[in-house]
Amino acid sequence: MSKIEKERIIEKESATVQGIELSADWNRMFMQRVLFDYDTTGLDKVTEIPGAESMGWCYQCTQCIPVCPVNAVGGEYGPRKIFRKLQQGMDLFTNDDLWKCTTCMNCLRVCPKAVNMIDIMPAVRGEAVMDANVPEELQEAFENTFEYGNPLGESQRKRADWVKEASVDVPIMKEIKRPVDILWFVECYPAYHHRSKNAATALAEIMSALGIDYGILGTEEKCSCDSQRLAGEEGLFEEFAEQNIKTFGKYKFNKIMTTDPHALNALKKKYPEMGGDYEVVHYTTMLAPLMDKIEFKNKLNYKVTFHDPCYLGRHNGEYQAPRDILNAIPGIELSEMGRCKEQSFCCGGGGGGMWLDGFMADHVNERLSENRVKEAVETGADVLAVCCPYEVSRFEDAVKSTGNEGKLMVKDIAELIKEAMG
Amino acid sequence: MANQTIVIIGGGPAGIEAAKGIGDLGYKAILIEKRDRLGGNPDEQQYAALTPDLRNAEEALNEMIAPLNENPNIEVMYNTLVTGAEGEAGNFTIKALQLGKEVEVKAGAVIVSTGFQHFDPGRETQKYGYYEHDDVITLTDAEKMLKAHNFVRPSNGEKPKRICFIQCVGSRDRRIGNEYCSKVCCGMSSKQAIEVRQLLPDCKVFVFYIDMRMYGYWENEIYWPAQEKHKVNYIKGMATEIVKKGDRLLVKGEDTTLRRPMEVEMDMVILAVGMEPSEGTKQMASIFGLKQNQYNFIETTGGALDTVSTNVKGVFAAGACTGPADLEDSVSQGGLAAMKAIASVRKAALATA
Repeated sequence: MSKIEKERIIEKESATVQGIELSADWNRMFMQRVLFDYDTTGLDKVTEIPGAESMGWCYQCTQCIPVCPVNAVGGEYGPRKIFRKLQQGMDLFTNDDLWKCTTCMNCLRVCPKAVNMIDIMPAVRGEAVMDANVPEELQEAFENTFEYGNPLGESQRKRADWVKEASVDVPIMKEIKRPVDILWFVECYPAYHHRSKNAATALAEIMSALGIDYGILGTEEKCSCDSQRLAGEEGLFEEFAEQNIKTFGKYKFNKIMTTDPHALNALKKKYPEMGGDYEVVHYTTMLAPLMDKIEFKNKLNYKVTFHDPCYLGRHNGEYQAPRDILNAIPGIELSEMGRCKEQSFCCGGGGGGMWLDGFMADHVNERLSENRVKEAVETGADVLAVCCPYEVSRFEDAVKSTGNEGKLMVKDIAELIKEAMG
Repeated sequence: MANQTIVIIGGGPAGIEAAKGIGDLGYKAILIEKRDRLGGNPDEQQYAALTPDLRNAEEALNEMIAPLNENPNIEVMYNTLVTGAEGEAGNFTIKALQLGKEVEVKAGAVIVSTGFQHFDPGRETQKYGYYEHDDVITLTDAEKMLKAHNFVRPSNGEKPKRICFIQCVGSRDRRIGNEYCSKVCCGMSSKQAIEVRQLLPDCKVFVFYIDMRMYGYWENEIYWPAQEKHKVNYIKGMATEIVKKGDRLLVKGEDTTLRRPMEVEMDMVILAVGMEPSEGTKQMASIFGLKQNQYNFIETTGGALDTVSTNVKGVFAAGACTGPADLEDSVSQGGLAAMKAIASVRKAALATA
């Protein structure tokens, strides 16, 4: 809570309501109701920052609030509300509200004034980062990235170790020393995370079966840092982008495929500004037209519901490819959630949310992933299909914490393809 | 033979445009103005800049008026007050006093463009203490100061640090009898807010409103730039009361979206006063027997599809005498009235030929 908000709380020595004395101290605390001032310095400070100007554009139509996922889980949030608080003197740079946004872009989708939290958040957070005013967990992820090249704090030397778990040979660029058609940007979670790794090994096996000419960067690959950038670490992003662009420059390839929609976003939208202009596709976009070339041995008798990742759908406009893949897998019956495609509900992992779960727990009454899992369960699906490496672990945790273990499995689309291939 | 001359009563934007149109089409126009100059409210009230384009009002009006003097078809009668009229379409005789001397003018058709007057915030209710507090002013008071590039607190001559506009003063009010929206006040307030911010960059500007009525391009031409570029703070919620607090004003109201009472100090309060029919409009209605609506504006008879014809054949009305109108409305109606008036005298001439 900011200083100003604290000042508004009045604690009375004693309070009697209708003849009954209120003994508990929390019953004697009152918020100052009357607004004595509109101290707009907080708003002016934000709108002065390049990139954050649109924070001042809100005309309170309030369309953002019903679609803000953080607000939906009791976070009292959304651009409209932030704007009003700023008009009353909130210092966003030191306020917890600065870290609640997952940059899911649902507010921007509906905002008539184009108040752009996707630009505002990294710009304002950048100032807080410079003042070392960052929630501890997030700071740890930043430091891990800085030190090890990935937010998980794993050794860079082990970045290609996952390939040993694949049943096929995974070509590594510096070893094969030849041009490839597809350069596969694996990204940190598929490379290291015990659960997200399965999607990487599955994907390797699918590509191998399809005879795709590809290679990975292995230990030469660095985190795309898109989420770190959106969480305020522009410097870190730029440093790593430069390194990745330099590495890309060493090799010949036709296009880049990413496992991670967040990496897709960085490579597609931000790398060109830094001189790295490539054709970049998400793995679902690449595989969707090749589905008829896959020989499926198994029929998967699953009812599947699909979670559109914010950074694949809203941010990069790909809604169809994952669905085409799911519909091409024998036996799968696709059942959509109400909030799907453009209206998809954020898992909570974006914009630094992946590293703010503890922080967020103090501000919401359930996790975004829990809210989403409940919606998935309501469809009667056996499987919640995902295609963002943040999601498998987030949703599996949420399945457990909402008591839905045994009712709902969480699987990456690559895992489902592989399962059907046998 | 029917008279081919058209008399226009009232030399504001609507009347000027009507006279110009008639003259340009080769018909005789006589523009009767009670003051010694043309320009109507924008001139009389010394508007600084026009809404919505923020053009210098004096410059823009002079440009509009200049062609009248060059066209031999157009005659302007200054200092002339219409006192009576008789006759009918094709043959009106208008009586007037010109500097105290009785004159008569013959015309085939008449255009009434006698405009509006700003609502007096002291009328009926003294909600905002306009006559009590020096620093509570109206949009028109503010225009005069902005025109002089001297925007200061009337109470002490100092530059204000915080000011607010209160919208809908004298408009949308059943108790006062003005149930209509005055149409221009949201735009004018926003325009003035921009001008204040340009003149006094350290002055915080707030607008308290029920709902901002920035129709058409006013939305993107005034409202959005006021908020986005000039950092005017729009607060949804009306102020109900202004009381003195030290040498400042305490503005009390409710912040609607926060559902909390507000009591904020201001150096100046500008009341966004709406429009009422001018005395001249009421007099002309009575002289020509024109139907008036419940608010005493002249009622045009064609609904949305004919905005200038009245219940009296050969008499047309244009501009804010027909209801709240912005400059765009007034000028458009002026042109339409010119066309209809000419059609009227021409038809009469052809019939008698």
